[in-house]
Amino acid sequence: MRQSLKTLAAATGLAIASLGSAHAGPYDEFAGTTLVVNFPAHPHYNAVMQVLPEFTKETGIEVEVDQLPYLKMRERQTLELGQEDGDYDLIAYVVFSKADYVYADQLENLARYFMNPKLADPSYDSDDLIDGYVYNIGFAGGKKGYLEGKTGSLFGIPFGSETSVLGYRKDIFDKHGLKVPETYDELLETACKIPELEPGMGGLSSRAASGHHASHAFLLHLAPLGGRVFDDAWKPRINDEAGVAAANALKTIVDCGPEGAASYGFGEALGSFLNGDTAMFLDTTVVAGQIDDPSKSQVVGKVGWAMHPMGVRRGSQTGGFGIGIPKNALNKEAAFLLMQWLTSKKGDKLVAMAGGNPSRFSTHADEDVNAKFPHMATFGEALKHADPDWRPIIPVWGKINADIGTTLSKVLTEDLDIQEALDGVAERAEAIMDEAGYYTWQ
Amino acid sequence: MNRMTPYLFMAPAAVIIVITLLYPLGYMVYGSFRDWDPSQTIGETEWVGLRNYIVLYGDPAFRESMWVTLKFAFWVVTVEMILGVGLALLLDRNLRGMSLLRTLFILPMMIAPVVVGLMWRYMYHPTVGTINRWLKEFGFSGVDWLGQHALLSVIIADVWQWTPFIFILSLAALQSLPSSAIEAARMDGATNWQAIWHIKLPLMMPVLIVTCLLRLIDAFKVLEVILVLTEGGPGLSTEILALRISRTATEFRELGTAAAMSGYLMLLLMTLTAAMFIYTKLVERRAQRLARMVAEAE
Amino acid sequence: MPNQDRQHPAFYAVLVTLVFMAVGPICLMFINSFKLDVDILSGTSGLLFMPTLQNYETALCDVLPYEPDHLEYCSLKIGGSFTNSLIISIVSTALTLVIGCMAAYALVRFRFMGRDVASMTTLAVRMLPPAVLLVPVFGLWNNEFCIDKDSFVGELIRDTFGGRGDICLAGTHSGIILVYIAMNLPFVIWILQSFIVQVPRQLEEAARMDGAGPFQVFFLVVLPLIRPGLAAAAIFAFRIAWNEYLLASALSDRDTKTVPILIVNNMSEFNIEWGVIMATGMLLAIPPIIFTLLASRQIITGMTAGAVKG
Repeated sequence: MRQSLKTLAAATGLAIASLGSAHAGPYDEFAGTTLVVNFPAHPHYNAVMQVLPEFTKETGIEVEVDQLPYLKMRERQTLELGQEDGDYDLIAYVVFSKADYVYADQLENLARYFMNPKLADPSYDSDDLIDGYVYNIGFAGGKKGYLEGKTGSLFGIPFGSETSVLGYRKDIFDKHGLKVPETYDELLETACKIPELEPGMGGLSSRAASGHHASHAFLLHLAPLGGRVFDDAWKPRINDEAGVAAANALKTIVDCGPEGAASYGFGEALGSFLNGDTAMFLDTTVVAGQIDDPSKSQVVGKVGWAMHPMGVRRGSQTGGFGIGIPKNALNKEAAFLLMQWLTSKKGDKLVAMAGGNPSRFSTHADEDVNAKFPHMATFGEALKHADPDWRPIIPVWGKINADIGTTLSKVLTEDLDIQEALDGVAERAEAIMDEAGYYTWQ
Repeated sequence: MNRMTPYLFMAPAAVIIVITLLYPLGYMVYGSFRDWDPSQTIGETEWVGLRNYIVLYGDPAFRESMWVTLKFAFWVVTVEMILGVGLALLLDRNLRGMSLLRTLFILPMMIAPVVVGLMWRYMYHPTVGTINRWLKEFGFSGVDWLGQHALLSVIIADVWQWTPFIFILSLAALQSLPSSAIEAARMDGATNWQAIWHIKLPLMMPVLIVTCLLRLIDAFKVLEVILVLTEGGPGLSTEILALRISRTATEFRELGTAAAMSGYLMLLLMTLTAAMFIYTKLVERRAQRLARMVAEAE
Repeated sequence: MPNQDRQHPAFYAVLVTLVFMAVGPICLMFINSFKLDVDILSGTSGLLFMPTLQNYETALCDVLPYEPDHLEYCSLKIGGSFTNSLIISIVSTALTLVIGCMAAYALVRFRFMGRDVASMTTLAVRMLPPAVLLVPVFGLWNNEFCIDKDSFVGELIRDTFGGRGDICLAGTHSGIILVYIAMNLPFVIWILQSFIVQVPRQLEEAARMDGAGPFQVFFLVVLPLIRPGLAAAAIFAFRIAWNEYLLASALSDRDTKTVPILIVNNMSEFNIEWGVIMATGMLLAIPPIIFTLLASRQIITGMTAGAVKG
């Protein structure tokens, strides 16, 4: 598999080289520059690491990567972006950092670069980028401040973006004649049936550990079950019926899940699925590469993919990362070139072939990609229902998110009453929102 | 020159302690009265008086964290003291290989807390972890270590690492006891148990108290093991103050609040140490009296 | 004291259990570091497995002369961090010893104004938890203890070493070293005091008679006599500096990361690769383990000197 990737890379490299000899290329001016970029430790970016040498070969621009776990990455960025001269030329940021960075005026507006004829690649085809991801990750200033809208503009490009899908064990489902769940009721029922049918096996492995894990797992169910964290006037509605239903769903899933599921982080949840300890996995698309990797997985070839089950509506998550250029970067133009190269049709495909998550429609439809990753078609289908508003992206979200996470963790391990717990979250969230000025106009 | 000599000897240490410990401590107290964001220098921040402290006082999560810290410190110190002293009393004999034994015992406390954390995180793992695997081997059901029993798990890891410390110190104290006192007790027909309870333990008391104090201080420094094991979860059940401080500072970027938390932690620590210190003085006086009595009896 | 008589068999059983409990987890880590993840997860406990160096290759990929086959690219760069850890621990230990020794000598041998204050202060700062230092040190090292990049010295440093922005203590080896010296000083001073007290005064007097100045007396007479104390103090200071995570993680940048930081970072949520984690843990644990095996006598003397006689 690596071999085919190499040939592909070599072929494209050759094509570019022959093109480049005709006239002074766009990259010439920047050859020899070293870009310092900050990427998360994340399967998509691990794939990017394999593709980067190709970029250097083609453009002469060196790339030095500081790869950190994403919470660490955020801490580091907070520090670096606040400085007069930052260390980083290009950063990957997690979706909800968008609000912080744009609000603090720390990211470059990309208009300046796409307007510059020397930098902007005419064949970039921005229409091919998946709309939901672009608005979710790159856009700021539209509706509610973080959604698509006429007042918004672009500050980053989705790269390593994800949605949620349901992975299930085909062999187990066939063996017991189970139907792949389409709705939440079916999902919960199946999840709890499996431990009875297959003693020792958990139903669905979900992350649930205190903090952002539990919060993420809860929000994953909240949107399809018809809930939201805030209503249109920024009043918390997390404690309404839908919120309670989502928390109940999470609790059921954890109770019928693998042993010790309440302390699972993402790694443990995925690990138990890879190890064959659970029959289903409902989370981000990012895991597909590892499930088919025999050195990490015991379930190679046994996993089927389906859409995120429906509650009162379809609503899979939108998440992952985008890349943007810090205001205090040293080599902004070269950074833009790297960004453009990585998210171009070619870059997107290269990364996808190395196991990353494509952000373009064309890559999802690409023959080579589909031949290598048959699940790509389901993922492309799931994208149509990706819900960009499944969680708010506002500067104070980090605090509220942490509170949701710890509170739900208490629900899961200390049997705290769900309604009471969510009422508490709503009350504290309202205080935070009030202090941040969200009720000024009411 | 002559009068300056001691100052010259002290100077480097004094400068470093002032610059790196005392000045930052003052800076922290000053910062705890301010609304402080990591991107600001402290000069740019807004003075908010006692607000950070008051908000924290009313914050149930912070109180819980304080409570967890106290619970952790109490159990860790208690269990380690009992185990460590007990083992010392048991192993206080002339044995071949005793020095090898001691060497092996001090290994855990020389290893990085980060590594201790990851070792135990593996052993506590609900399905692949060693402990649950063994439990199942012997027909028990697995325990949800890092979930429902997270605080207990964290305490066990710390006990594993630090009981040897108390063991070594108590053993040293035992072996420096005047053997005449114990011989005399034997002569009077005291059983082993009586000798331990009435002679050995009281005589060891001053050392034990210092040891206990040292462990107590160190128990408030623990952070890495818990960070790696549970990250403070589930809920807030293992979120000790030190962890909360570091998360508030780095994750939520509220340096002012984190500084105020540090202020509370210092206050707590100072109260405890002062209480222990006073108690030590009292016990020391009693031990001296006893030692004198033993000497006179001879 | 009871003489070396035969003990009850149960007693030996207790001993074996204790040793097993103390060393077991470490052995487990050691063994697992030679297993593939598949072997670790599948639960074939015990010794029946094919040992592999693959985990160590992954961890040390940046210093290996060859490129391991199983890696697509080198992500964990323990080699570089290992160097950082070594530099930081050795320099900070050496400086702590020298500085601490001098201070301890002054506190033991001289009566001077402020002696009690100095003595009390060193005792008091010993209890400072690193977490309390985190906020102020983070703020000071990043924002206040800086040299303007446009100043003469600043330009000089930027021209020689490269990098961007103002030169601050944060992100440099010296920044972390300084913190470690300060953290270790109170403890080292405390231990060494108890050793210096035991040096016979007559020796110093004699040297002074021969015309030696106070510093000569200190370096030529006192220091050689307290070598065991120095060894103990050195091991403890090294241990703290080598193992510390919290402050290093707040103060280091991508070039000055120490091994503990790398280990915590590597426990990232997306791939818990137990084999590699165990291998990195072993790499971090090896130096302290070696010290313990070689110098357990000194360690125990140091510990007891600190507590029992302090």
